[in-house]
Amino acid sequence: MAEGTLAKLARIRGGELSAAENVASALERIQELDRRINSFIELNPNALAEAEAVDRKIKRGERVGKLAGLTIGVKSNINVAGLRATCASRTLQNYVSPYDAEVIKRIRAEDGIIIGMNNMDEFACGSSGETSAFGPTDNPAAPGHIPGGSSSGGAAAIAARLCDLCLGTDTGGSIRNPASHCGIVGLKPTYGLVPRQGLIDLGMSLDQIGPLSADVAGTALLLETIAGRSDNECIMLKVDRVNYSELLREKSLKGMRIGISEKFSELTDPAIMKVIDGQIEKLRDLGAEIVEVDLPNLERGLSAYYLIVSVEFFSGTRKFDGRKYGRRIEDVCGEEVLRRILRGRYISQKEYRGKFYQRALQVRTLVRRELLAAFERVDVIVGPTVPKLPHRLGTKITPMEMYAYDYLTVPANLAGICAGVVNAGRVNGIPVGLQVQGRVLGEPEVLRVMQALEAAG
Amino acid sequence: MNIKIGFEVHQQIATRRKMYCNCPTNYQDVPPNTNVCPICTGMPGAKPLPPNQRAVEAAVEIALMLGCRVYTNQTIYIQRKHYDYPDLPSGYQRTSLPLAGGGSLLGVRIREIHLEEDPGQYDPLGGNVDYNRSGIPLVEIVTEPDMKSPEEARNFLRALVRVLEYTGKVRPEAGGAMRADVNISLEGGGRVEVKNVNSIKGAYRALRYEVIRQREKLKRGLSVERETRAFLESQMVTVPMRVKETEEDYRYIPDPDIFPLILDEGWVEKIRERMAEPPHLRESRLISEYKITRAAAEVIVSERELADLYEAVAREVDPKLVAIWFRTRLKKVLNYMKLRAADIKFTPAQLAGLLRMVRDRQLTPEQGELVLRELAKHPAEPEKIIARLGLFPIKREELLPIIARVIEENQKAVEDYRSGKEEAINFLTGKVLQLTGRRADPREITRLLIEKIGKK
Amino acid sequence: MGERLREIERSAEEIIQTFLKSTENLPEMKETYYSLEAYNVVRPDGEPSPEEERRKFRERFISIMPRSDEKGNLRVEVATWLKER
Repeated sequence: MAEGTLAKLARIRGGELSAAENVASALERIQELDRRINSFIELNPNALAEAEAVDRKIKRGERVGKLAGLTIGVKSNINVAGLRATCASRTLQNYVSPYDAEVIKRIRAEDGIIIGMNNMDEFACGSSGETSAFGPTDNPAAPGHIPGGSSSGGAAAIAARLCDLCLGTDTGGSIRNPASHCGIVGLKPTYGLVPRQGLIDLGMSLDQIGPLSADVAGTALLLETIAGRSDNECIMLKVDRVNYSELLREKSLKGMRIGISEKFSELTDPAIMKVIDGQIEKLRDLGAEIVEVDLPNLERGLSAYYLIVSVEFFSGTRKFDGRKYGRRIEDVCGEEVLRRILRGRYISQKEYRGKFYQRALQVRTLVRRELLAAFERVDVIVGPTVPKLPHRLGTKITPMEMYAYDYLTVPANLAGICAGVVNAGRVNGIPVGLQVQGRVLGEPEVLRVMQALEAAG
Repeated sequence: MNIKIGFEVHQQIATRRKMYCNCPTNYQDVPPNTNVCPICTGMPGAKPLPPNQRAVEAAVEIALMLGCRVYTNQTIYIQRKHYDYPDLPSGYQRTSLPLAGGGSLLGVRIREIHLEEDPGQYDPLGGNVDYNRSGIPLVEIVTEPDMKSPEEARNFLRALVRVLEYTGKVRPEAGGAMRADVNISLEGGGRVEVKNVNSIKGAYRALRYEVIRQREKLKRGLSVERETRAFLESQMVTVPMRVKETEEDYRYIPDPDIFPLILDEGWVEKIRERMAEPPHLRESRLISEYKITRAAAEVIVSERELADLYEAVAREVDPKLVAIWFRTRLKKVLNYMKLRAADIKFTPAQLAGLLRMVRDRQLTPEQGELVLRELAKHPAEPEKIIARLGLFPIKREELLPIIARVIEENQKAVEDYRSGKEEAINFLTGKVLQLTGRRADPREITRLLIEKIGKK
Repeated sequence: MGERLREIERSAEEIIQTFLKSTENLPEMKETYYSLEAYNVVRPDGEPSPEEERRKFRERFISIMPRSDEKGNLRVEVATWLKER
């Protein structure tokens, strides 16, 4: 069993392991393994120097940040000054970020070391990790299979222990889906909890930046570093930083009301459900109360999601005209990106707005209402993350079949609630993740349940 | 021939920071692309800061000044208006739904007022873009096509500029702070839009050109198509911008990165209480309250600071006298010295003191004007200025000998006057004035001359 | 190229059809534009951003421009409607 995040952190702070050593061994591992996995697009040439600076602080007995010396992979749609935020697209192939995203500032302030830019589905438009202009990413936990997407590189890097933590983004499941396929931990925070300044848009009203890690402690640590109020953008919850690690000292699930829904079984592969049901039993054993909740309109969310995200993505990509940086997106992008742009362009026309865009926003109201009503009766809702197992890399599937991976994850984005994933087991050797959905700002409960399941093995 | 003219006026609001970021707004004073950041240059991933509060307040104040009803207790979204143009960094412009509407000025109905942001500056000939201006807050004022001639349109724009300047919240008109899209249609023809006219003069010229151009076409039996044209100021012509005017679909959506506004009635009322009195209303009030002429009132309200000065001085000295002075001599001095009323450094008390002296005949009006000019240049107490200029009024005892001497030395003129040539008296008055070093009132001189000559 | 484009357009429409079908019998309701509900979040006017910050950004911004001139302008296309004159 590999070392936990907190244990490693303690060793770095204690001087047993230097940040420089940590970075060097990460770079070595990447050098050795990443050619096959392809989880990084670019590495940070200053990583070692930054680590050495942290080590000097530690030697001098100065206070160091929460993430001192830990190596962090950043999804390629987040701006890191001096590195290329390519979004895994030829559109931004050579776009060197002129500024740091807010979350990067926060990570740097806590002495985290950015090790490189992770591979992803092009412009986050995908659920498999196969659409990157820089080549597909492999699943280290199930080689030959897709790692999931769109935070494919981050999940794969964590699964292969190439770095300690990764930042991903989740619009319709893009953190949770690969976390599930790769057998690791991931969390989509409550919408508005983590600042999006510097995140290149997929769907502005849905996107959230979140952590990917090997253990729940790592996710909690990275989350508390990036979350909390920011004056540098408009759409944010006005909440103070929460110390999730501290809250995780509370381990007991006694009295917690955990929701499950029939709807999940209706939509999911029975083999996956079997693994999930096993975990639900464990939750019962741990003293939680299992409550049946009604989510009758859950699956309507998928098509509504794709209409909304297409409109927002169309809008967000108008700036890629090739004049100020990069190339004109329609000239060089991949199929799925073009599909969403064209769809968005079509349905946002004046005469169609009511029929498509506004109607989709009505379905959003419905899905949201249902989920929020469920949270009146339960503290969290657990279930499968994806309705089917990840396919083999290169398998030809239709766009609709690809979209179908998102059935169980999009509702959380539509409702703006938080949702985390922790490994629940395997089917035929392929990891299966259990999704824990929480109410708005319900991260402490979600993390607590995830922690309990992780501990129960 | 029935002409319909309407405007969409874009006016920059005077703020220190831009609408959605904290970059400075002095775009004309700095090298290209200096007052910029990831937000106003449309960098990938950049998100707007919350909208500039002062800009919102200014837009509401302008709406109130124009007699509009402000749309309170309604959700006002900031929308994305998508189109492709080099000066638009994000490929869309952020523009609000209307904040107010249903007002009027000079009989022209104001359809709506909303908030926008300025795009960058694109030089279409040189092919370059400067984003310094990008993101500066704009208020857009849309009128109904109620104007019937280029002259009426020009008067409207002048009155509008005056109202805007009265708020004290807009950037001065010069240098492109105000731009207009001009709509004109003639009976039997389609609506032509002339874009980005940058001055009142330009608007007038563009309209005159269009009236002639469209009239000619219609006369020859050709149709005037609906289209968009550009005004080329240097050549004073309009040229087609797009051959076919297709209604571009801007694909408006509420901006998901900006929370909508809901304007509270109480807050709007506070703005109404605090704001300056609109010039057209002030003009009427000055006429009725101070019993002055419309001509004088019009001059007085031409600048808000001038009207403020007037009312302060009119408290101390006869308002009618003050009004005359404002309309004639003060205006003259300000024009001569190229001063705006806002630049005046002397106090109302100082001006009142001066006018009191003129009223009490301690000074002639001409002397008063000299003092006024000095006052504008180097503000001081009028007594000091009078002393400095040596303008003590001449005493009658001093004057009479001079009059006698002039009469003696200019017998021909005297004869001319006696034989009926009225102008001769002016000649004689002038001579006396020369000798008295401007310290006497010419009317007094003339009167004494006539008396003296008569006696002889 | 046209073939590929048509195929992408066609496949783009599939989910729209699914959407229409799945919402056929759904009643009208209020739209949710934002995941968070808040209004009047505004920012006071005041001191602009520090020059140092902008100087750094300007350097980087100009360095990634495809074309720029010595003064720092972004070079783009000349207006087509002028070219015709």
